[in-house]
Amino acid sequence: MSSHREAPEISKDPVADSTDVYAYVSPVDPDMVVVIANFIPLQKPDGGPNFYEFSDDVRYEIHVSNTNRAESDISYQFRFTTKVRNTQSFLYNTGPITDIGDETWNRPQFYSVTRVVNGKPRVLARDLPCPPVNVGVRSTPDYAALAGQAVHTIGSRKVFAGQRADAFHVDLGSVFDLGALRPFNEAHLISMPAMGGVNAVQSFNVHTIALQVPARELTKDGRPPSGVLDRRSTIGVWATASRRKGRVFDSKQGKYVGRGPWVQVSRLGNPLFNEVIVPMGQKDRWNSREPNRDDRFERFVNRPELGELLPVLYPGVFPNLAAYKKPRADLNAILLTGIPEGVVPGFTNFTGPVKADMLRLNLAVPPAADPHPLGLVAGDAAGFPNGRRISDDVVTIELRAIAGLTIPLVDPSFTPDGAASAIEDGTTNTNADLLDAFPFLGLPGGGYQTLPGTTQAS
Amino acid sequence: MTDTSRRKFLAAAGIGTAASTVGLVGGASAASARPHPGRAQEPVLAVVDDHHGSEVRLLVGEREVVVDDRDLVTRILNAAGGE
Repeated sequence: MSSHREAPEISKDPVADSTDVYAYVSPVDPDMVVVIANFIPLQKPDGGPNFYEFSDDVRYEIHVSNTNRAESDISYQFRFTTKVRNTQSFLYNTGPITDIGDETWNRPQFYSVTRVVNGKPRVLARDLPCPPVNVGVRSTPDYAALAGQAVHTIGSRKVFAGQRADAFHVDLGSVFDLGALRPFNEAHLISMPAMGGVNAVQSFNVHTIALQVPARELTKDGRPPSGVLDRRSTIGVWATASRRKGRVFDSKQGKYVGRGPWVQVSRLGNPLFNEVIVPMGQKDRWNSREPNRDDRFERFVNRPELGELLPVLYPGVFPNLAAYKKPRADLNAILLTGIPEGVVPGFTNFTGPVKADMLRLNLAVPPAADPHPLGLVAGDAAGFPNGRRISDDVVTIELRAIAGLTIPLVDPSFTPDGAASAIEDGTTNTNADLLDAFPFLGLPGGGYQTLPGTTQAS
Repeated sequence: MTDTSRRKFLAAAGIGTAASTVGLVGGASAASARPHPGRAQEPVLAVVDDHHGSEVRLLVGEREVVVDDRDLVTRILNAAGGE
């Protein structure tokens, strides 16, 4: 998945596990930038009575680099506080919740937003209420209205923190079953009949932190972006989650308490970077590091394991890729530096020579009138890897890039295999409908409305 | 007070509250440790990663204070005991 349970250590700490980051110029107001960071993967909507929620002892952050150093020049910190209204009840809600302030919601969450610029914090808002999760038709009968009350305005900014439907789509069951892609089952080393992809994420929720801010708030000089080829127009974006360095179980309270400074335990910039590029033995370390120290992971980008596996798993399908022995400068540019000027006519999102996994967004590229899910590789410069829109099909884009489709951008002597432009996992966006307005992600599935899956042992 | 200056101060003052607590448990020189106005007044977690070394990391509030004091390490190890 993009980054759901992508590393051994963070997979044991779901509330701190970042799953996806999106950053794009708002199609509603092109002067605004939308950044969305999702956490807490694979939430089954009926997982009560202790439903999913942000953690009070995790610091969630969205980072922006605007000085080409891949450092956190601006960050937005989100800290949560959970209250229990009726300690004598085991229930999440003691009646229908029709208003975000209803006393019937027994476990409300509130949060603060702090903007940190060059290390100096300023609290933008306190005690902002989250919406409850979507419990079901009796408990949260008009969830859209309820969640709408949780969109807050802070000056020219908007912010939302709460449950949403996951918008990522991928065939987990197949991809992690020896790299199988169901539409190409017949060509796999362990051949099976071809079939359509299965979107493993479509019925699951996540917890979303969404932020909409004026573009000028994110640029180095505080001005709107002036031109696509102006390097100041490109920012780097990533999300993190941090915990206190020390954690002690307090028997009196029956829970853990934190001690000491915050330490980063989860990170996400480009989708699938830690999941697919970084080897198992280094994933946890990667999660704890700043992007500007990613040079030690560069060799995994230059020679990705998946790129070497594809010709093995699909014999005879990727002969040109198998024969290509040069470092993958195309992937290096896409994932670690941004695409320099001159590679794609009229476009760049290069952020300098510092090797860093960040989502790079050129703020001067206007939103597309008709967004293409394959983004830049399909000629739509407003999409991934120029930032990432919710509807971008990043699995297909990255599969095809790793399969060699983007090598000619930097090495015209290479001819991609025919399969490189066809490879996909066969899934489409069958998740909840996206919204036309902030926070854009679809409404979360309700608990009562959830039906069992189709688990089969053989 | 910065962590660095605090570290120097704590080292000079016999490490303050955290050390005195450990000293009491271990039966060491509790009487030599006197509370200072600048002492931590909240829970402190002391960590010795290397029992051969001289470093104690004190996690207090949202800070980490690193103390280089082999004597303190020894007193903590004595207090902790062995199997």
